[in-house]
Amino acid sequence: MIVCIAVVGHQNNPLYIQSFTEADDALKLHHIVHCSLDVVDERVNNPKKSGPTLNETFLGLLYPTENYKVYGYLTNTKVKFILVTTDLDVRDADVRNFFRRFHAAYVDAVSNPFHVPGKKITSKVFAERVSAIVKSFGLSSAV
Amino acid sequence: MAPVAPKSGDAIFASVDRVNAELFTLTYGAIVRQLLTDLEEVDEVNKQLDQMGYNIGVRLVDEFLAKSNVNRCVDFRETAEVIAKVGFKMFLGVTASVTNWDAEGTTCSIILEDNPLVDFVELPDTCQGLYYCNILSGVIRGALEMFLFPSPSGVNENRSHVAA
Repeated sequence: MIVCIAVVGHQNNPLYIQSFTEADDALKLHHIVHCSLDVVDERVNNPKKSGPTLNETFLGLLYPTENYKVYGYLTNTKVKFILVTTDLDVRDADVRNFFRRFHAAYVDAVSNPFHVPGKKITSKVFAERVSAIVKSFGLSSAV
Repeated sequence: MAPVAPKSGDAIFASVDRVNAELFTLTYGAIVRQLLTDLEEVDEVNKQLDQMGYNIGVRLVDEFLAKSNVNRCVDFRETAEVIAKVGFKMFLGVTASVTNWDAEGTTCSIILEDNPLVDFVELPDTCQGLYYCNILSGVIRGALEMFLFPSPSGVNENRSHVAA
């Protein structure tokens, strides 16, 4: 179950945060996302020599907290996508697939001439696409 | 003599030089954004887009006639069909359909299902009266006026309508 996804700009400014649970702990989720940014910066500044350096976009599991897992994805323009999920066993391929589709939706939203880079993403079409991707993520990993 | 059906624009589209669709879309988006920043009034921007389209249309019609080789159109219906099928295909790569004819056959609507100018675009609430594709109606108006065919045309929501 995906709890929350966030898009953070290259100056660590939030561009889009959306939570998908009914529980009202949005603040906790924001806090988790904020902490995970530090982990992202750490990964970016100390690249693991042994790991594959070709696909630098997908950062993988950033850190597991009490009952959440946080995954990160970094675009070439230093825009970060953070995914917070409560699933216990999530396949790596699923998360990569999710981020790929999310990246495509993000690119389409940013191509809107009325979108100001650096400001929050206000596109309704983007929000709908993201909801659809999140829903299908839950279904595919149940298979 | 029965009017000859207009040639499909596919053959001509395949033979002319083409430009990347995303570059075209983003460039047009940048033009509209800049006009909005400069003029600030949505109505002014609509007028400017129409004027820009008009200037394009008066020049474009010569290229269209040279490349497409269509026969003389007998009436306005045929003209509209040629614009929709051959003209739009040749320059935008999409085919439009002509509908909504009025009783005398002097007004019609040209509908573009798949308009490359509006890919990725979402109008914000501050610009709701903006006719984003008004340049297209200007182009048609300019092109038709070269045939001494004064025709007011405009954009109706996302539709462009032409009157003769």
